[in-house]
This record gives sequence, C-alpha cells and structure tokens, in this order.
Amino acid sequence: MSGHVEITGRRAGTVDIVVVKGRLDAGSSEKAEEQINRVLDAGGRSLLVNLCDLDYISSSGLRVLLAALKRLKKDGGMLRIACAQPQILEVFTMAGFHRIFSLFPDEAAALAGFATET
Amino acid sequence: MAFSVFGDMFLVLLQMICVIMVAAYLITRTTSFTRVLDGIFTWKGQAVLTLLFGALSIYGTESGITILGATANVRDLGPMVGGLACGPVVGLGAGLIGAAYRFSLGGFTAVPCATATILAGLFGGAIFLAAGRRFIGMHGAVLFAVGMEAFHMGITLLLCRPFEQALEVVEGVALPMIIANATGVFLFAFIIGNLITERQTKTERDIYLSELERKKAELRIAHDIQMSFLPDRLPEVPGFELAALSVPAKEVGGDFYDAIPLPGGRTALVIADVAGKGVPAALFMALSRTVLRANALVPRSARDAVREANMLIADDAKSGMFVTLFYAVADPANKTLTYVNAGHNPPLLFRSGGDRPVGLKGTGIILGVMPEAEYGEETISLKSGDLVLLYTDGITEAINPDEEQFGEERLIETVTGCLDRPSAEIVDRVRDAVMAFSGDEPQFDDLTLMVLRVV
Repeated sequence: MSGHVEITGRRAGTVDIVVVKGRLDAGSSEKAEEQINRVLDAGGRSLLVNLCDLDYISSSGLRVLLAALKRLKKDGGMLRIACAQPQILEVFTMAGFHRIFSLFPDEAAALAGFATET
Repeated sequence: MAFSVFGDMFLVLLQMICVIMVAAYLITRTTSFTRVLDGIFTWKGQAVLTLLFGALSIYGTESGITILGATANVRDLGPMVGGLACGPVVGLGAGLIGAAYRFSLGGFTAVPCATATILAGLFGGAIFLAAGRRFIGMHGAVLFAVGMEAFHMGITLLLCRPFEQALEVVEGVALPMIIANATGVFLFAFIIGNLITERQTKTERDIYLSELERKKAELRIAHDIQMSFLPDRLPEVPGFELAALSVPAKEVGGDFYDAIPLPGGRTALVIADVAGKGVPAALFMALSRTVLRANALVPRSARDAVREANMLIADDAKSGMFVTLFYAVADPANKTLTYVNAGHNPPLLFRSGGDRPVGLKGTGIILGVMPEAEYGEETISLKSGDLVLLYTDGITEAINPDEEQFGEERLIETVTGCLDRPSAEIVDRVRDAVMAFSGDEPQFDDLTLMVLRVV
C-alpha cells in the first residue's frame, strides 16, 4: 500500500502551497517528498505545507518536512505549516518540531505571514 | 499469353522475395553485421559483408526476368543495402562485385548496368555517412531505392545507343525494377529495424535488471550494517531482567537498541529509530549508536550524554536525517530509572499491580536537528515487578491487510496479559501478536522492542 495520502500543489502569488491529506507514513512519505522536491527544484523559495486534512504523521513524514526545512534554510527560503490537527501537533511536540517549524492555525494566517516577511 | 507472362513474372518475383527475406535474415544475424550496428568497423567484418552483399547482387542478376533482351532484376539491391546499412566500403565493394559479374555477361546495357550497380553501393554508403554513420530507416531506404532505380533507367537512356532501343528496354523494365528493388529494400529495412528495436529492448532490459540487482545489493548491505550494529547478546543487568528484539523491514529503516554497562552496576539502555531508509539510514544508525556509546561511557548525567551526542550527530546529519532516541540509565542500587526522551514514542511503564501503564514522555527534541539543543531528564523510582516496555513505532504502526494499525491499545493489552512472565517471553508474545495481526502484509518499518523488568 502507498498509504491513503492525497498530495496536491498550487500557487498563491510567490508562495507554493502543498496540501497533504490523509496519512503521511513510511509508505506514503516518498510521494510527498517527490512533490515538495519538484517545487523546490523549480526554484520555489516560499513553501506552505497545508496539513489541515492530515490525519496521521509518522517519523518518515517528519523527515520529509525536516528535509524541506533544511533545504529551504540553506537557500534562504521559508517553510510554514498551516493548521495541524491536535494529533499531528502532539507528534510535532513529541519530536520537538514545534520549536523549529513555524506553525499557523490556518492557511490564510500562514500566507499573511509570508506577505509581511517577504 | 499475356496472362502466362505475368504469371511467370509473379512466380519469379515471389521466389525472389523469399530468397531476399532469407538472405536479409541471415546477413543481419551475422556477428559482422551486429558489430557494424554497434559502430564497430573491422576490415574482416567489412570484407565478409562485402562478399555477402556482392553475392546477393550476383543472385539479383541471375534471378532477373528477361524482357526484350534486357533484364528486370534486383542486382542493385545488395549494394544499396550494403551501403545504407554498413557504409561506403561495403556498398562500393558489393557494387564492384555485382558490376564485374554483370559486365562479364556483356550485352546491350552492360555499361550502364554495371555503372549503376557501383553507384548504388556508393550512394547508399554516402547516405549512411550523411545520416551520421547509421542506417537511415525504412522510409528513407525505400525512397532511395526508388530514386536509384529511376537514375539507373536514366543512365541507360543516356549511354545506350541507338536511343530508340534503349527507350524500348527502359519502358519494359522500369516499373518492375523500381517495384522489385523497392520491395527488396523494404524487406531488408524492415528486418534491420526490427533487429535494432530488439537490441534496444534488450539493452534496456539489461539496464533495468542490473539496476534491480544494485538495489537488492544495497538493501542487503544496509541490512548487514544494521545487524552488525545490534548487540549480539545483551549484558547481564544486575537487579533487572532485560530482553530485546529487532526485526528489520524489507526496506530497512534504522532501528537500534543497546545496553551499555556503566560503572557502579548501572546500565544505560538505548532504543532509537533513524528516519530514512537504505544504506544512508543504516550508516546514520551506525554513527548514532557509536556516538551514544562513547558518550554513555564518559561519567556524566544522562541529559549531558544525550546533549553531547546530539551535538556530534547534528553536525553530520544531511538531508533531514534524524533519530528519535530514548536513553535511560537503570540504577539497581537506588532502584531508579533516569531517562531522556528525545522525540521517541513514549515507552510504557507498567507498575506492579497497577492497571494502566504510563508513558515516559518527551524531554527534548529529536537528535540531529538542533546542534545546540538542551535536554531534560526525569528520574522514576522502581519497585520489584515494575516493567518498562520500550519500542519503536514500527510496532504500533504495523498494518494488517485491512490497513488498520496494530496501535498502542493492542500493545498494552498484549503486555498486560503476560505481565508476570519473564522479559524474554513478553518480547516473544508482543512479536507474535504483531505478526499474527499483520499477516502477510509487507511492513514498511523495522520492529524493535525492549522489555526491562525489575526483579
């Protein structure tokens, strides 16, 4: 199985939005990584990952987000995460990710953040 | 009568086509020919091909149908294909052979026919060069054959006198010759085209197979690295009973566990999960394990050992690699467990006689992400009969064919049902329960667990 994951991408101004729905686990995180890398390879420097409909994230999912964050930091880009569910936030907190990622309650708030900083 | 002439012609043509097909098949299967396709030109190979296409040219002369003293024939076919597929040397050579034979027969059209045959090989070779030293393909080849035979007719009209006789011959043989030669070239081109595709498919298949082989080898190497960094057997832990197990997934992750004897009868316990797959994850696991061992042995607090290890690991962590770690020091003298949880899923503490286990929650960020991270540590007192279950998320995330997860509830149930059993048996029971649950469903992650029981 590749996990019940649905990954879509779109753009809002200069911001690339990647929406991940379903489950981001060992079986499906490769797909998410490919999608994010496509965006970064194309020169995307402002990445917004929308996790509003993400039900579950495992350590492989965290790795994908961390890899994107590291890559963007190195290239002077920015990564924001919008509206993680309580169970996702719990995993983030357990891993300590809440200390290194910019988390926003919803997509609009995250987008507004980009606007003020860029 | 006309019917019989056409009937004969049809039979002859059919016979010619059969011979050409067999010749095309045999010539294209020779080593000399396939080497030319690979771009390797040796004198010996070219000589062999020259003789073969030359022989075909002689056959073309012999198999012709005589019309009014001139013969409709496929003499030019051998030199044309020789030139188109194997270059000017073979084309010209075959042309000379065919021309010499034709010239020796004499007759009204001897000079233009011999000339045309030589030129057929030469032009074919020129097209080969112009196409970048390769076969031009079916359409180009057939078009060339038509043009070449038209040209052949042209020089017959130009060179043969009286002109009226030449015209009569050309009128009789032009169409059958153009059709016959074009058909012959088509057959050759078709077979050569098939051969090229066949060889490409084979090359692609070979590449695919060797890639598959490489991937398998990588998985095996990763597996070997991972296994060689797991303890062969656990040390005796005074005052405790310890058992552990790690089952790598097919696409190995990077789980590991360790038990390091410390001074004063204490023991450091480690369970960790490297995020990532394959050789990079296995190497990262080896690095993390070694760094942790080295830091555990320096006399210092658990949190300092982890902080120091994190600093070293974070310097080496590329492309988002990290490791979740639960590090604990079991002290039999004071009956305590001091732990640091760096983003690892909380181990479960089952109190002797208690009902629900409690999770030993995070005290810091995962290793490899923030070099300057600080870690907290917690100390719990233990009583005889208490049990700590350490595991990686491969256990709780094991899926069954319905894609349900094994989950924490099933894990707690399983352990609660055998709390009074020895540690090694509890490990086996959990493994059996996970295996029974997941059935034949392939697992994506390693399964690792460790059971520590207070004697």
